[in-house]
Amino acid sequence: MDGIHDLGGKEGYGPVPVSEGDAPFTHDWEQRMWGLAREGICPSITIDWFRHGLELMVPGDYLTFSYFQKWATNYLMLMVDAGQITLKDLERGYVLEPADPAKAKTVDQIVEQVRRACTDFSVPEDAPAHFAVGDTVRTLRQINHNHTRLPAYARDCVGEVIAHHGCHLFPDEGAHNRHVGQHLYTVSFSAQELWGDDANPRDTVTLELWESYLVPA
Amino acid sequence: MSTFDSKHAAHLHRHIHSHLPSDPALRVKALESLAVEKGLIASETVDAWVEAYSEHIGPMRGAKVVARAWVDPEFKARLLADATEAIKEFGFEGNATGHLKAVENTDAQHNMVVCTLCSCYPFSILGMSPAWYKSAAYRARAVREPRAVLAEFGVDLPEEVAVRVWDSTAELRYLVVPQRPAGTEGWDKESLAAIVTRNSMIGTDRILQTGAA
Repeated sequence: MDGIHDLGGKEGYGPVPVSEGDAPFTHDWEQRMWGLAREGICPSITIDWFRHGLELMVPGDYLTFSYFQKWATNYLMLMVDAGQITLKDLERGYVLEPADPAKAKTVDQIVEQVRRACTDFSVPEDAPAHFAVGDTVRTLRQINHNHTRLPAYARDCVGEVIAHHGCHLFPDEGAHNRHVGQHLYTVSFSAQELWGDDANPRDTVTLELWESYLVPA
Repeated sequence: MSTFDSKHAAHLHRHIHSHLPSDPALRVKALESLAVEKGLIASETVDAWVEAYSEHIGPMRGAKVVARAWVDPEFKARLLADATEAIKEFGFEGNATGHLKAVENTDAQHNMVVCTLCSCYPFSILGMSPAWYKSAAYRARAVREPRAVLAEFGVDLPEEVAVRVWDSTAELRYLVVPQRPAGTEGWDKESLAAIVTRNSMIGTDRILQTGAA
């Protein structure tokens, strides 16, 4: 979707908050949000449905909310969407039918849980790869209306395939709970192709792009 | 079960926008209490996550990996060939590093990492990302004017050094391997790891300071 989340190359955002934004967390609630998200309080989501949920936020909120504020809002939406809680629960602030409490975990258990969460996103498919390292490719100009990972700044541009990763989970389908793979490539674009002749001719931007985002150039 | 219905999700977001206070502390408090009441998590488990990421999982992990690569050419070769496998030697694999790629800075090339579409980051090896990495300014500008962004971080990159910006659009995550600074010959791995900054492993720092060590 052509959403507000697609920030690459947009202008007018001012300086990067280098020193005032150095810490990963500045409020206690941010750390708690991180813990809640990592523990998987909404087990039916997929990684791409989570991302798509962020993209579907009210655009003004997306731009003005901080990162973890967006996450909190998204998780409330995701849990209502999944039927875990209701909008009435949210407005009331508590649930009418509490469940048995979850067992507490220790720090050691969490550290081990993180290690085991090393997820392989390869989804092998029989389809042959249409491109190979060294090929010149052009990205599509049009994208679908839902979740996709082809940013606006890199559409209808010509680049070179510099790596082929086999088939990976295709996010456009994964956002809708369909677990299908598609060939994934790293494509390098010259900065001048993306931004014009004023860019440094030595500079490049690379993106991971799925096969259906690409056509032969 | 999630609906996976985009229009429904957008509708729910509009409802939440109109009916709930936007104060993030209140929203997270509501989320935690509802999740606890539903038996999805214990509050002590949230505490444990906070401690895990403040004490055990952070950029010191990436720094150890970089220092090892500086002193051990065979490890460096393994790291550059398959970083996901290489960091298993440290037990550092995990969240968001299932497809980790290490990219090496050279005299001719500087590497810099961004995620323009969300804020993807190799959590299990670098911990939680700094706030600036998640800012709209960094996400918008890193791909378009990396040299101006680097200058804001105090990195004055010569014109002839090429910049390669890696936009993390899939599940690959990147670890920049900064150059070992001159004057550190003979240092042990611990001393070397201590000078590797988090920003240098994201690519917004380049010349590491050897300090008084």
